[in-house]
Amino acid sequence: MPGMWWVVGVVVLAAIFSAYLGWTAQRVERLHARARSAERALDAHLLRRAAAAAVVAEQAESVELYAAARLALDADPGERETAENDLTRQLQKVVLDPADPAARTLVATSRRVVLARQVHTDQVRDAQNARRRVVVRLLRLARRYPRPEYFDIVEPVLPELPPAPLPAQAV
Amino acid sequence: MRIGIVSPYSFDVPGGVQNHIMDLAEALLGLGHVVSVLAPADDDAELPDYLVPAGRAVALPYNGSVARIAFGPVSTARVRRWLKHGEFDVLHVHEPFSPSLSFLAVVSARGPVVATFHTAMTRSRALSGLQPFLQPVAEKITARIAVSELARKVQVEHLGGGAVEIPNGVAVAKFASASPLPGWPGQGGTLGFLGRFTEPRKGFPLLRTAYVSLARERPGLRLLVAGPGDRDELYDDIPADLHDRVEFLGLVSEADKARMLRSVDVYVAPNTGGESFGMILTEAMAAGATIAASDLDAFRRVLDGGRAGALFPNGDQAALTRLLGDLLDDPARRAALSSCARQVVGTFDWPSVANRVLEVYATAIEATDGRVFDDEWS
Repeated sequence: MPGMWWVVGVVVLAAIFSAYLGWTAQRVERLHARARSAERALDAHLLRRAAAAAVVAEQAESVELYAAARLALDADPGERETAENDLTRQLQKVVLDPADPAARTLVATSRRVVLARQVHTDQVRDAQNARRRVVVRLLRLARRYPRPEYFDIVEPVLPELPPAPLPAQAV
Repeated sequence: MRIGIVSPYSFDVPGGVQNHIMDLAEALLGLGHVVSVLAPADDDAELPDYLVPAGRAVALPYNGSVARIAFGPVSTARVRRWLKHGEFDVLHVHEPFSPSLSFLAVVSARGPVVATFHTAMTRSRALSGLQPFLQPVAEKITARIAVSELARKVQVEHLGGGAVEIPNGVAVAKFASASPLPGWPGQGGTLGFLGRFTEPRKGFPLLRTAYVSLARERPGLRLLVAGPGDRDELYDDIPADLHDRVEFLGLVSEADKARMLRSVDVYVAPNTGGESFGMILTEAMAAGATIAASDLDAFRRVLDGGRAGALFPNGDQAALTRLLGDLLDDPARRAALSSCARQVVGTFDWPSVANRVLEVYATAIEATDGRVFDDEWS
């Protein structure tokens, strides 16, 4: 019966398609979970950087830097990017003493912010690309997850300190 | 931390990627981590303890050269077994987009994956064509490292996704402890150059001219040259009466490179461009040589703005000759520069490079769900 083959074909195609759907749904979930974890990690490292900056500001008695660090620590989500950019600008103006452990901590935490932001940006991009796929949009596979957003700040990089006479352990 | 590292290329043949992996693995072990390296190799080959063989490698032309790699069902099974028994906190693959163990490992793994890109791959057109198929694989990589600015650019432009630049480390101890070649550097002073002297951007003609004019006033001054190239071509441009004061070593092994760098009073890097990092300078610094280098950005950065080596204006023949003369006449200045260089080169030593890599591992672990972040990992 030639009609049978037609049915078998449809069943096989449907099986392949549903496997693809399952795989895509899993992929969407994984990418969103990662973007969330990356965001939490970035948040934690930004807080650590602001705290390290406050310590350096107290030692150097720099009112401006201390204020920028406080603002970054207390900023509302909407103002966070601006506050972090201000802090980066203040930090790049400060002359750090290579022998000061607080300064070394600050440089190390800044390095971790750069890494965390890079990974966060990558994860957000992957998640957003996945959301744009036709299957994902048509079947609204991403409806349970909030859309991850980029954290748009200037590269918060600080110049590396030359090695101290007794180098502090990195991180 | 338990770290699993995958090498795409066999350790039977020496190569830049293999050396990098070995040095990194040993530095991580030295910092107290548990490291397992999976690489194509025969089961009965002589291997370091941390290396797990993944079966015989086959020679395959790839990316303009012949790579000895392992790929296929047997390799896949071995990769999966290694992943299952390794219980790694982080998986670190090298060159994941070559058809290799690294690719298989990324496909088979879940969790924090860090990838290092070594070469600026020229087959980017083929790669961009495969991009839609590689995307799900690329998504599994949590964090990316590029060993050079160029490798980073290729990564960003063709594969999407950023990458942190962490250059190769230098095995400082290996260079610092090498013994000079017998009879060198000698009494009259020795200048050194390492690299392809026929390549214009290496700037060898600048050094040659400077040497010839300095050698007229200093009867003992010698020149030691190492690197690929034709011996006759080197001597053709040097006056015949100076030939016995110029020694050409040809292409040297890693061990002889260290001995060569220990054999010179002043190491000269007259490069006129094209250097993105200046690996050779870090090696010369580790060997304790005094350095005279052109003031390229890359060199200026490595030499800490001129503290760890003397700089001269790029391409300035007269300035180079003057600088070399001054350095040869002033042992105290040479000693000051080289002692500062020894201190600065610590930043490029493998343990500090490994610490930077560990920071990337930590970032990858934090960004991957289902992992607990505890103190042991920091």
